Amino acid sequence: MNLSILNLASALAAHASARQQVISENVAHADTPGYRARDIADFSSIVESGPPFTAKMTRPQHVAFGDPMGFDPRETTAFGAETPNGNTVSLEDQMLRGAAVKQEHDLALGVYSKAMDILRTTVAK
Amino acid sequence: MSDLERTMAASASGMAAQASRIRLTTENIANADTPGYRRKTVSFEETFDRTHDTRAVATGPLQLDRSELTRIYDPGNPLAGADGSYLGSNVDLVIEIADAREANRSYEANLKMFDQARQMASSLLGLLRR
Repeated sequence: MNLSILNLASALAAHASARQQVISENVAHADTPGYRARDIADFSSIVESGPPFTAKMTRPQHVAFGDPMGFDPRETTAFGAETPNGNTVSLEDQMLRGAAVKQEHDLALGVYSKAMDILRTTVAK
Repeated sequence: MSDLERTMAASASGMAAQASRIRLTTENIANADTPGYRRKTVSFEETFDRTHDTRAVATGPLQLDRSELTRIYDPGNPLAGADGSYLGSNVDLVIEIADAREANRSYEANLKMFDQARQMASSLLGLLRR
């Protein structure tokens, strides 16, 4: 049986919560001078680009390089959000991103629970 | 620690920083008529919160505004010098109120992010309850 839909849904939920963390850091730093707003790339572009580049760790002392899920935050912001003190956080822009994250997470959980329901219906008796 | 818990830690640090900023603003407004009072300001800095593994915000050292104190002409005041004036505070109420508004706006944004992370975590746990 192919359960890749569950993997995809849980990866989408993980992407949403990783993105939520980056966005809430941006919002927390809305008034920090010199702070650059960051965000994680869209889930679709991460899925399409295939496995991300990470350094191989052959010893426990090795420092991890790159996120195995490919959720590396990059500096990005809305046009014209930069203020004279070097801060690039626009609260409105971050709210928009936050709403998108919430929808993404709801979608992931909805797909996951529906897939589980179908699975239960199939397995039951 | 999960991403959502780190989210809540980052938002909470933002709320704490904005709360201390609004406290200083309130102190400045309360002391607007105190002779010789210099307005207090604080700047925000980026720190790495090791316990929660998140890029939190912290308030920097408290600073006093070095701008000129306003000279108030009031010969009847016991503090008045030979020219009949004394030094008041350098608090500008308009600036303080604008600062308080901005702190309020940022606080609410942090609160919204905290609440959203909480909702996401509870709907995630809701999957187990089905």
